[in-house]
Amino acid sequence: MPVREPEVAEQVDEQADEQLDPDRPWVTVVWNDPVNLMSYVTHVFMKVFGYPKEKATALMLDVHQKGKAIVSSGPRERMEGDTATLHGYGLWATVQRDS
Amino acid sequence: MKVRRKQSVLRVDLLPSESALLGEIFDDLSELLAAPEEGDPVVQRLYPDGYTDDDAASAEYRELVAADLKAERSARVQACRAELPPLGGRFELDDEAADRWIRVINDVRLAVGTRLGVSETEELDPESESTALYHWLTGVQEMLVMHLMA
Repeated sequence: MPVREPEVAEQVDEQADEQLDPDRPWVTVVWNDPVNLMSYVTHVFMKVFGYPKEKATALMLDVHQKGKAIVSSGPRERMEGDTATLHGYGLWATVQRDS
Repeated sequence: MKVRRKQSVLRVDLLPSESALLGEIFDDLSELLAAPEEGDPVVQRLYPDGYTDDDAASAEYRELVAADLKAERSARVQACRAELPPLGGRFELDDEAADRWIRVINDVRLAVGTRLGVSETEELDPESESTALYHWLTGVQEMLVMHLMA
């Protein structure tokens, strides 16, 4: 029996676990809207998620240019919490399964 | 309106007319939040669905968060109203208060912008008073955000 085989098997198991974990595949999406200012949206991402300015700005530009951006991911309850916080800031956010 | 950063606070100077205008705007928002009309596009914009493709999940989400969102919105606008110098003049906002102010100003912009039908593509009616108000609020918010982030 090859000595290294169990290690390989462990790696495969870890990947499978991650895919099956019911708490993982949810995301918060922020959608573009014509009212919210670019500077304000950047501020909100920094304030709510603690993202550095560069990351917050990049996400804001994705929202602005691509129409939406995934701003956080994790368990469904936490994504609903993030969405509610963003709704409190007047951003247009929704929860969805990570595709 | 003038805004300057003074160490850890933002120092805001308002003209008497600006104070009066903000007072009216805050009162209008308070009223709207206290008695939201079902089907009002502004109310729909302030409290969006939590899901794009799942009505049942959106209803559950709403059940879960709507009351808190509403109470917090009202509390924020009332706090700003209380800080507003009635006859204009100077007041100071720490970062938390400034964050609250830009959120309230944003709520008002969402309300006015929704009523005006603001879109990415079409110009607003330059003759309309609401358009002037909307642009003024945009300037106010931009100024506060810039100084808050600085």
